[in-house]
Amino acid sequence: MKRFRMNSLLTRRPALFALILLVLALIINFILQPNLFAGDTLNSNMRVFLPIILLAAGQAVVILGGGIDISVGGIVSIVNTILAARVGLEGSTEAMWQYVGISLLVGALAGAINGFFVAYLRLQPIITTYATSFLYAGFALFILPNPGGGIPASIAELYRNTSPLGLPLAFFVIAIVLGLWWYIQSTRYGNYLFAVGGKAQAAYETAVPVTAVQFSTYVISGLMAAFSGIAITMLSGSGNADIGSAMTLNSITAVVIGGTALSGGVGGVAGPVMGAITLGLIQNIVSFAHIDTWWETLVKATIIVFALAMPGIINLFRRRE
Amino acid sequence: MTLSLSARNVVKRYGGVVALSDGSLDVNAGEVVALIGANGSGKSTMSKVINGVVVLDGGQLLIDGKPAHFPSPQAAKALGIATVFQELSLIPQMTVADNVWLTREPLGAGGIVSRKMVNARTEELLALFAGTFKTDLRPDLPVSELPPDEKQIVEILKAISVDPSILILDEATASLDSRQVQRLFELVNKWKATGQAIVFVSHRMEEIFRIADRFSVLRNGKTVGAGMIKDITEKDLVKLMVDKASVFSFARKSGQKDEKPVCLEVSELQTRTLRGVSFNVREGELVGIGGLQGQGQRDLLLSLFGDIPFAGNVQYNGEPVHFRHPRQAMKNGFALVPGDRAREGLLYIRSILENMQLPSWMRYGFPLKIGKAKKDAEQTGASLNLKMASLMEPVSSLSGGNAQKVVIGKWLMRQPGLLLLDDPTKGVDVGTKAEFYALLTQLCDEGKTILFYSSDDEELIGLCDRVLVLHDGHIKTELVGAALTKENLVSASLGVAEGDEQ
Amino acid sequence: MKRFSISPPVAALLLAVILFVLSGLLPNGYGSDLDIARAQALNILRLAVFLGVIAAGQTLVIISGSEGIDLSSGSIVTLTAIATYVIVNGADERVLPALLVSLLIGAFIGFLNGAGITFLKISPFVMTLGMSGVVTGAIIIANHGNVSGKVAPIMTRLIARPLSPEFPIPNALIIWLVFGILMWLLLERTTFGKNLFAIGTNRVTAKLSGVNVTAMNLAAYSLAGALAGFGGFLVVGNTGVVMIQLGQPFLFPSIAAVAVGGTLLSGGKGSYWGTMAGAIVLTLITSLLTTMQMPDSVRRMVLGGTLLILISIYGRQRSLRQ
Repeated sequence: MKRFRMNSLLTRRPALFALILLVLALIINFILQPNLFAGDTLNSNMRVFLPIILLAAGQAVVILGGGIDISVGGIVSIVNTILAARVGLEGSTEAMWQYVGISLLVGALAGAINGFFVAYLRLQPIITTYATSFLYAGFALFILPNPGGGIPASIAELYRNTSPLGLPLAFFVIAIVLGLWWYIQSTRYGNYLFAVGGKAQAAYETAVPVTAVQFSTYVISGLMAAFSGIAITMLSGSGNADIGSAMTLNSITAVVIGGTALSGGVGGVAGPVMGAITLGLIQNIVSFAHIDTWWETLVKATIIVFALAMPGIINLFRRRE
Repeated sequence: MTLSLSARNVVKRYGGVVALSDGSLDVNAGEVVALIGANGSGKSTMSKVINGVVVLDGGQLLIDGKPAHFPSPQAAKALGIATVFQELSLIPQMTVADNVWLTREPLGAGGIVSRKMVNARTEELLALFAGTFKTDLRPDLPVSELPPDEKQIVEILKAISVDPSILILDEATASLDSRQVQRLFELVNKWKATGQAIVFVSHRMEEIFRIADRFSVLRNGKTVGAGMIKDITEKDLVKLMVDKASVFSFARKSGQKDEKPVCLEVSELQTRTLRGVSFNVREGELVGIGGLQGQGQRDLLLSLFGDIPFAGNVQYNGEPVHFRHPRQAMKNGFALVPGDRAREGLLYIRSILENMQLPSWMRYGFPLKIGKAKKDAEQTGASLNLKMASLMEPVSSLSGGNAQKVVIGKWLMRQPGLLLLDDPTKGVDVGTKAEFYALLTQLCDEGKTILFYSSDDEELIGLCDRVLVLHDGHIKTELVGAALTKENLVSASLGVAEGDEQ
Repeated sequence: MKRFSISPPVAALLLAVILFVLSGLLPNGYGSDLDIARAQALNILRLAVFLGVIAAGQTLVIISGSEGIDLSSGSIVTLTAIATYVIVNGADERVLPALLVSLLIGAFIGFLNGAGITFLKISPFVMTLGMSGVVTGAIIIANHGNVSGKVAPIMTRLIARPLSPEFPIPNALIIWLVFGILMWLLLERTTFGKNLFAIGTNRVTAKLSGVNVTAMNLAAYSLAGALAGFGGFLVVGNTGVVMIQLGQPFLFPSIAAVAVGGTLLSGGKGSYWGTMAGAIVLTLITSLLTTMQMPDSVRRMVLGGTLLILISIYGRQRSLRQ
């Protein structure tokens, strides 16, 4: 009886599982790194995690709507190269804000392109966004063929040192994202999202504007990818056309850990946000576990595969019952 | 707001298949019109044309006498046309309340859905069916957790929540029990009085005569008759639905099967829907399985074939068997013609040859002797009178009846000893049906055993030696010989009177 | 969308010819010199061999349906290339064992892919993407000791050289032709092939007709991995050197090649001849861009755009409103 309640609880509240994982990761990380919660470490960790958190939030929305966005890494790269190349180390603050604005538009546009092909032309999301990922990655390389450029040191400084109320800036950003999500999912649009992701045909028959909803999820994902690109540029201070390539898989893994099923219609954004933080903590744990540098990549990649396999493993046990 | 709608000479094609060639329907305020037709006659397509889900290829729609055009389901909904869909339009992961109010959620400040109002209004709607639920149906339950009858009620409530001018009930009583049907009809009469128009799409005669004022009959995509219910009899209505007066001029001589040995023994078979089914079948028998839809008939056939797990004992030709995969069943001479030909029986984009040889390629060596495979398939096709352009054409180019022949041919090529048929004549034209009946009879005469589920009572009565009627996961009755009548079949299908349940 | 009445592999070949003619008209092109044209054509074909072999496994998993794809083939190529390099170490007699090891490594990784996809119900894209990360990790480990190795002379002779001075057909091309015939046999003249098309079309029907869908799935991905391993063996035999990014540049083009060749990305229909034609087309595109001195970024954008156009033509799904 107890197991059954746990099962149905996990089904109703998938984010619960993500929370448990997050707490576990925090504990292990804390053991390996006792100053985890000290101001500076916390700040620095959150700045590193923020890009993936933002990306995971956008990815979660697309996945909830029944799709997936493989091109997010490419959009991050484009934004990073735009900022690094056009603003540059010597750039002015005005130019920075100007190009931040342009980056957001670019992100939305890239998302709209994805949305057009998937929602209006009704192409398969995976292969379509895989194709656009190449397109976008190539474009980023076009803007900045060699790593370099950057953003004004003063802005990177600002980003590093801003701690409203002593808490990392990232906390506030996350709070805003979660707040926005709380609002969205309590509106009619939120219901549309879950309906389209849950059973698009039924939603269509119920006169839900399925195509528009699907399109909008890709625009949101593109925007979040742009924000993520801005965050990562603020973090690294320089440009690299390859910066986003590994982030796509991480964003998907964060969503999976966060309890939002890849099939759509189930879950939320809070879980993936927690999943992104958990993923970041795991990367920390691996670094602190004194594993041979050569082995690090393999270990991290294996952990990701396990994380992706988790829902399947859990289901396997459920089916045995 | 009252509305009248007319559909005139509607044409609708899905790819190469013509679902409607000349459909017409008049829907008037304050009355119930029954849209009647056999399976595959185009009823559902007609309702989807009216509610904007599909776009018509020909003909026109008139609203209050003026030509109208629905570019989307939203347009129809805006006019006040609501539908209870046969394949429910509910989102399984969402709650009852969310499903009912989807796109019409009562909003509070800032566009946020007011949970309180949603739940309150849902409770009001649920109250309409109060007393007919077997379980506690609450607004916050996910629809996936509901039994089929409650799901259908939620679908009905969803449609009436928009206070429609025209309500389309497409097989809306399929999963309801008699109490719920009664309540629904009471509500329908109330809605009629307030001026709503109701389209009742069904093939259940008894219900049609209870609730409908007018009728319109579709046959093979064409409207062949319309009028007032009080002016027609059930028999004449059935005549309109089918080409001939009765397909069953098919006389089957009941052979002496008593001396034949028992080849299949099933005892206490249990699956998710079957609660312990036991029966024997003799060699050469044509045993029918009857009962209302969803009583476990499919499960019975699939479990015997090894597609779904089951508990219980099965013996075939004296040997205990328990198949865990269709391959094992096939090796023992079993064959299964599945219920949904397009989704379970055929590879639509592949050639006729590949479809027919799918289970049998290993017989043709390595590398595959395609020539021999073609010859064998041609032979079987000829024996079935299969009309095709060539074996290499995709199966999608065939008509429904011929496609079903491919499915049967696939198995006949293997000389099976036991055939399991899941509603094989659904959506098949009358001429092919007759060929099937002859074929099945011939197979039995040759000593093959057939277990045959049909949703068509006439078929069961005309073809089978005996019929096992399933109800509530058990075999309610076995009807043989003189007892095999329509009345007995129907009453056994409904279970005996409700008070008789355990 | 208008239906093409010519079969996709033929259409792809026509496209290849058009592209080749175009390349001749460019400033750096062969102009009207037939000898150079012929040499260039043979070179393109020879280059296409490697993409073509690597795309063979991709063809299999895409035909197997359920959004089948193998994103790990690029990294498998690199790993098996390194393995071959190290095992052979210049010795002719170690070539065969190296080949076997390559096939086994590839098959093993493919099997892991198949297992995750079949038993853990992970989508093929995500599973193989994750696996490619793991294989890359393995490559880094294998590589860190500064791999020392060498290809054997017989490999270079058989893969990188032409048949003989009188018949200047690249040996690789002959290998590819034989390979193509074997692939055709596999797909069209074996039960495995028929079953592969069946599960790609409709898994329910396949199972109800006796096909062991689980086994087929595992076999398809394992075979795809093994074929990628074969590709790695050939690539290192051709180049003679190994790098960490050896196999990655083949990945995206391998998928595009399959799509160009007319294999439905949804599964159930296709052929390896089409993939071969697609590989030639894609190699031509890359070569054209190189001749035009376009940077890598443009090459990527063109490839991405090409696939996008292809799926817009071939890959549209059923509309919600019919």
